[in-house]
Amino acid sequence: MANLLEIRDLSVDFKTPRGRVHALRDITIDVPEKKILGIVGESGSGKSTVIWAVTRLLAGNAVVEGGQILFNGEDVLGYGEDDLRRYRGEQVSVVFQDPMTSQIPVLSYSRQMADIQYRRSERSAAEKRRVAVDIMRRVGIPDPEERVRQFPHQFSGGMRQRASIAMALMMDPPLLIADEPTTALDVTMEAQIIHLLRELKDEFEATVVVVSHNLGLIAELCDEVVVMYAGEVVEQGDVRQIFYRPKHPYTQALLECDPARVLEQTRFLPTIPGDVPDLHAPPKGCVFAARCPKAFEACRKERPQDHEAEPGQIVRCHLLAPLFAEQGGAESVSEAAPSPAGANGEAATEHDGELLEVEDLQVRFRTMGALKALVNRVADPHVDAVLGASLALRPGETLGLVGESGSGKTTLGRTILGLLPAHSGSVRFDGRELTTLSESDFKPLRRDMAMMFQDPIGSLSPRQSIRSLLTEPFEIHGLKDLNVQQEADRLCDMVSLPNNFLSRYPHELSGGQARRVGVARALALQPRLIIADEPTAGLDVSVQGEILNLMADLQRAHGLGYLIITHNLPVVRHISDRLAIMYLGRLIEQGDCDSIFERPAHPYTEALVRGVPLPDPDKRRALVSIEGEVPSLANRPPGCEFHTRCKYAQERCRKEAPGESELAPGHRVRCHFPLNQ
Amino acid sequence: MSAQPSESAAAKAEEPRVSERGEKLHLFLRNSQGMFGLVLVLLFFASAIFAPLLAPYDPNQLDIPARMSGPTLDHWAGTDQLGRDTFSRVLYGGRVALKIAAIGVSVSLFLGLLLGMLAGYGPRWLDNFLLLFFDTIRAFPTIVMALAVVALTGPSLELVLIIVIVTSIPGYARLARTSTLALKNTEFIVAERSLGASMGRILWRHVMPNVVGPLLILAAMDVPVVVTVEAGLSFLGLGVLPPTSSWGTVLNEGYLIIRDTPWPVIAGGIPLVLTTLGFTFLGEALRDVFDPRLRKGR
Repeated sequence: MANLLEIRDLSVDFKTPRGRVHALRDITIDVPEKKILGIVGESGSGKSTVIWAVTRLLAGNAVVEGGQILFNGEDVLGYGEDDLRRYRGEQVSVVFQDPMTSQIPVLSYSRQMADIQYRRSERSAAEKRRVAVDIMRRVGIPDPEERVRQFPHQFSGGMRQRASIAMALMMDPPLLIADEPTTALDVTMEAQIIHLLRELKDEFEATVVVVSHNLGLIAELCDEVVVMYAGEVVEQGDVRQIFYRPKHPYTQALLECDPARVLEQTRFLPTIPGDVPDLHAPPKGCVFAARCPKAFEACRKERPQDHEAEPGQIVRCHLLAPLFAEQGGAESVSEAAPSPAGANGEAATEHDGELLEVEDLQVRFRTMGALKALVNRVADPHVDAVLGASLALRPGETLGLVGESGSGKTTLGRTILGLLPAHSGSVRFDGRELTTLSESDFKPLRRDMAMMFQDPIGSLSPRQSIRSLLTEPFEIHGLKDLNVQQEADRLCDMVSLPNNFLSRYPHELSGGQARRVGVARALALQPRLIIADEPTAGLDVSVQGEILNLMADLQRAHGLGYLIITHNLPVVRHISDRLAIMYLGRLIEQGDCDSIFERPAHPYTEALVRGVPLPDPDKRRALVSIEGEVPSLANRPPGCEFHTRCKYAQERCRKEAPGESELAPGHRVRCHFPLNQ
Repeated sequence: MSAQPSESAAAKAEEPRVSERGEKLHLFLRNSQGMFGLVLVLLFFASAIFAPLLAPYDPNQLDIPARMSGPTLDHWAGTDQLGRDTFSRVLYGGRVALKIAAIGVSVSLFLGLLLGMLAGYGPRWLDNFLLLFFDTIRAFPTIVMALAVVALTGPSLELVLIIVIVTSIPGYARLARTSTLALKNTEFIVAERSLGASMGRILWRHVMPNVVGPLLILAAMDVPVVVTVEAGLSFLGLGVLPPTSSWGTVLNEGYLIIRDTPWPVIAGGIPLVLTTLGFTFLGEALRDVFDPRLRKGR
């Protein structure tokens, strides 16, 4: 089997004012023809740098220190500008992570696609357009004749990503590179794109390189896998070798950390302790030694060689050297040991009353001004972001609120905290009505309710030191008698951040560290309710576990109630007692975490539960679980809102909105024909 | 995510903050145009502040026998029609320019920042009201407004100051408003609200530090405008009153006797040009350093 692309001993440095960052060191990767190769790694692993090197699009401060990139036997690194223009687009093309920023907003698709064909001067404009329409049809865009005239902002996220795949395939390149192709998409869209990529790869007989941090995606899509860590390839091999018989301790740890892989519900997720090494001065020995549970003397001193563990499986680890084979062969990686924080149940005394009660809450946003509505004769210039939502949360309980983007879950969370006005309905905290409170009356209650925000770094005020961020809650609530500096130290300890971090600024922290600051800030005033909006978003798998374990520890120690808002089902499964599923602003199903996972009653819930790509190459899904896209809020389907995408939909669903029915105590669903009952 | 491994790795380095400031300073020191601007600006400050020590004569001392002379050993930049030493008058004129520039720019920066943040963060009606106010002021050409006001009250230094402040506020306010609007719905501001932070605290502690940077750059670029406005008004006789020397009055008096001697006009014009140049270069260099998007290459 021939290799289309061979990367040989590639080293890339970045020049920064603080010295050189050795971003890639002696990378060797073979990309076999007509296969899908996946490159997995956490942030800072250098996986994207590999792509930029292959496409010769490295940033200006990058220096290729050595090595070769052979494409069909030709060294890409020796190409001049003309060669590159011939090479890019014709030979290799890229699907980027965010289609919104990789497409030109002011040009229509037909124009952008015609531009891609600039080398085909023999084609007439009409012919170019026909090719564009044709390729759009092949990636599954409905009405391509019509839609090719449209602009990127007129496409939804999933459609836009389809269009960027279409543009990448336009010139029929032998090599297609996809950089985190589904990261910006929802679960149901992700499944569709994965299937599209597989189909197209066969249809176009292309070779595909997929770069992702998502193990599920890699298992679902790839034939070969390369695992990268801190600028080195630590392991590569066949997808089954990597997922079933990983040899490198890092690969093993990474696989164990993936919440989707931990099958039983567990409150404590495995993690990889420690941080990625500083690549200004990479360690002398093995790059993973500092975090490796099996590391021994030689790992810290000597660079490990590449060893072939099985045919085709190459591992860079001392453990596989015959000399050291008997060393450190003990059990597997980091134990999911429950940390001994707080006596169980003691703090979390069961209160009788509900901590938080939301009843029939409705949140609307105005779409146009009153005058404009009058002129355009729009009777109701609003969209309903949340409709008739009711939920309850007891102290010490965790409720997971799950939904795709646009489902209104964040709006619901923010409305509970009075950050957005409610249109109708009620929110009661400890029996006290919140929706009618003025901000000044609300303020004392804010000590008892805190929110964690989605973006770990972006939710910290950028020009404030960590110390002043941590002491700010005390200042706001006028707690002057406290020794705030001591409090800052205490909070730092609580979330296990070193105290010298207090004088740093948010942009100097990694995602995980910033998230810890966010947790500390939320807990500063010892609230009783925490609303966490995507607490694991933007974090690497190995860090996700740490944050969730920390949250669980603190919950048991302080008896906190959590409302966790997320689209990430595997994560929420491990930490929630109950789940609420949201679709187009409605809560469509609520119940115990277990019963929802085992017997989802709503077709949408079923699609979500089954739609998570599992990090298991033998459990690839045969079918796309759910078709179509989330309708726009402004154009709410009549009857059951889900009927447009529901494969069980019947006449009644199109006409009549289903009421809420209780299947079992606490398990409520909004569906005419609940499943699995 | 790993597109910039340099960043994530750098975040873990031990002394990143010092180096970041160092980086900015380094960039600025390397910018020769900016350094040239800085030297001119420092020269302007020094000459204005130390004018009484540097000036060889009292600016109003008459030396009738030597009137309208060209540059001589006694009078380095010549004299005007009353025999006053032009060099001394220019030095003292710099004090007027500095006073107007320092007070005018800082007060309008402060007020513009305040009003702009209020417009951007506050309720919609306040925003609309303030915008209307800014646009109304902007619609008047400065000189025309000055003429109108002077016609009512008579010329004075304070009046120049007030006109300068009122007409520069909208520029700062609009800039502050736009940045504030962009920040209003960012997560960290919503996070502050969720903690119960008051509007004053949010604006002062969290919005202001993120908004003020571009305003400071605008201020550096605004100094020459203010200096020119003062000189212009004084030249027209609407600003500083005659016995006091300002660059504008030196030019005005020189203009009347330009057929006899060109020196007052030359001597009054040169500092105006250099100051304008200095602040503009400085402002541009600051903008290049603090706004990496405008930096060439990467």
